[in-house]
Amino acid sequence: MALVQVEQLTKTFGSTRAVDGISFAIGQGRCAALLGPNGAGKTTTIRMLTGLLTPTSGKIQFQELRPGADIRSVIGYLPQIPSFYGWMSGHEFLTLAGRLHGLRGKAAVKRSDELLERVGIAGAGRRKIAGYSGGMKQRLGLAQALVQRPKLLALDEPVSALDPVGRREVLELLRELKHETTVLFSTHVLHDAEELCDDVLIVRDGKIALQGAIGDIRAQHQKPVLLLQTEADEVSKRWLAEWNLRERPYIVDKESAEDRLRLVVSDIDTARSELLEELSRSQVKVRRLEIGHTSLEDLFMKVVTG
Amino acid sequence: MNTFFVLYRKELLEMLRNYKWIWVPLVFILLGAMQPVTTYFLPQILAGAGNMPEGAVIEIPTPQGSEVLAQTLQQYNTLGVLIITLSFMAVISGERNSGTAAMILVKPVSYTTFVLSKWSAMLSLTAVAFTAGYAVSLYYTNILIGDVGAGGFWKSLLIYMIWLLFVGTLTVTSSALLRSPGGAAFTALGATAVLAIATSLFPKAMAWSPGKLTGLAAQSMQTGLWDEKTWMVVLLSFVIVALMIMISVLALRSKPSLDN
Repeated sequence: MALVQVEQLTKTFGSTRAVDGISFAIGQGRCAALLGPNGAGKTTTIRMLTGLLTPTSGKIQFQELRPGADIRSVIGYLPQIPSFYGWMSGHEFLTLAGRLHGLRGKAAVKRSDELLERVGIAGAGRRKIAGYSGGMKQRLGLAQALVQRPKLLALDEPVSALDPVGRREVLELLRELKHETTVLFSTHVLHDAEELCDDVLIVRDGKIALQGAIGDIRAQHQKPVLLLQTEADEVSKRWLAEWNLRERPYIVDKESAEDRLRLVVSDIDTARSELLEELSRSQVKVRRLEIGHTSLEDLFMKVVTG
Repeated sequence: MNTFFVLYRKELLEMLRNYKWIWVPLVFILLGAMQPVTTYFLPQILAGAGNMPEGAVIEIPTPQGSEVLAQTLQQYNTLGVLIITLSFMAVISGERNSGTAAMILVKPVSYTTFVLSKWSAMLSLTAVAFTAGYAVSLYYTNILIGDVGAGGFWKSLLIYMIWLLFVGTLTVTSSALLRSPGGAAFTALGATAVLAIATSLFPKAMAWSPGKLTGLAAQSMQTGLWDEKTWMVVLLSFVIVALMIMISVLALRSKPSLDN
C-alpha cells in the first residue's frame, strides 16, 4: 500500500519550472531514492513533501494521516545542510525537537538520550553544537528527524557532504533505519541508491525520467554486453577493422577502438559463438574476452543525459 | 500552546546564553541612574570644569523630581530605542538566513507560534530592562532630588512601555521582511524617527499616532493625567502592533528559508 501518493506536483519559480508535473507513490516500508543530477528538482520535491514549500499545483496525499492533522507531524526531514543553534548542546536541541513534537519533559529528555546513543554521538551530547564536525552535525540532523518516530523519513542528500568514512557510517545507519520506517532520500550518486534502496525515481529537468523497483529496472533494461580486447598486434588490428565493416543483426550498440570492441547485443548466444569462431579462424591474439551485462550506471547516464 | 512555551523558553535561554539578559538591562539601568545623578551634581560638575572666573556663583534651580524622570524618558527615546532595535534586528532574519527557521518549521509548529514566541521574548526583555532602569531612576530621584508621585510614575511607565513595545514590534517585522539585519535596524529606526517628526509636524492629523506616546508618557509623569486621548493613542498602538505581527507571520510563511 502506498504511504504517500504524489500527483502532478509542480513548482514554478518565476519563469522556471523546477518541478514539472511529478507523480509517484512511495510504498509503506519501502526505501525510495530520488535520483538525479544537480538541479533536477530533487530538493524542491522533498521540500514540498515536508510542507516548507507550497506546490504551485498538484496533490500530496498521505495515508494514515488523521483528517486535519499536520503532515509535518509524521515526516522527519533532514535538509541538505542541517543548521542548528550553535549555543545549544546536541542533547538540548534534540529535547527541543522532541518537545515541539509534543513529548513532555522527561519523555523528551529520555528520547534525546536514546537517539544520541543510536546515531553514535552520545559522548558529544552535552557539548555545544558550535564545536561539532560536519559528520556529527549530519548525525544530529538524522537524530532530530527521528525524534517522533516518523512514518516517512525524508533525507536530502544525506551523505553528499561527508568524507568517505562519515559517508559509510551514515549509510550503515540508514540501512538499519530502513527496517523501521519508510525512507525517501535524494542523491546524485547512483551507487548509494543501488546499495540501499528498493525503488528509484530518476528525475531530470523537473520530470520523472524513469521509476520503479531497482530489481525490475535492472531486469528490464539490462542487456548483455560483450567485451573484447586484443594484444594490439598488426593481425588483430586488421581483423578488427575488417570485422567492423560488416553489419550484424544482433548488435544494439557498438563502441570500438583499434584494439578493442564493446558490444551491447540482443542475442548473446549467437554473438558469442560467431565471434569465437571468427577469432580462432583468424588467429587473433585475444587478451580478454568478457561477457557481462549493462550496469545501472549505463542506464542512469543514458536517462539523465540522453 | 505547548509549542509556544517550548519556543518561548528557548528564546529566553538564547538571550541568556548570549548575555542579552545582562547588557540590555544594564544599559537601561545606567541611563536611568545617570539622569538624576548628573542633575544633582551639575553645579559641582560645572564648578569643577574650570574656565570660571574667581568667585563666580552658580545657581541652578533644582528641577522637580517628575521633571528628572521625564528627562530620563528622553534618554530612552534615543539610546534606549537604539539598543532595542540593535538587539532584535536579526530576530527572524537571522534564523531564516542560517536555516534554523526551516529546521523548526518542519516540525508541527505554526508560523504564528514561531513569530509570537520571538515577539514575546522581545517584549519580556524590553519590559524587564525598561522597568529596572526606570525604577533605578525613580530611586535616585527620590533620594537626590525629591519625592515623585507614585501614580504618575506607574502611568508613565505603562505608556512608555507601550512605546517600546511598538518599536520592538517594528524591529521584529522589519527583520521578517528584510534579509539583512542592518537593513532591519535602519528601517525600524528610520520609521520611528519619521513617525516622531510627522507627529510633531501634523498634530491634528496625527492626534492618535503612536508617536504621541513618548510625549504622553512625559506628560503623565508630571501631571498624572490619563485621559480619553491617551486611551485612543494606546488603542491604536495595539492595533498597529497586532497588524505588524500578522505581517511578520505572512512574511515568514511566504519565505521560511533562503533557498527557495
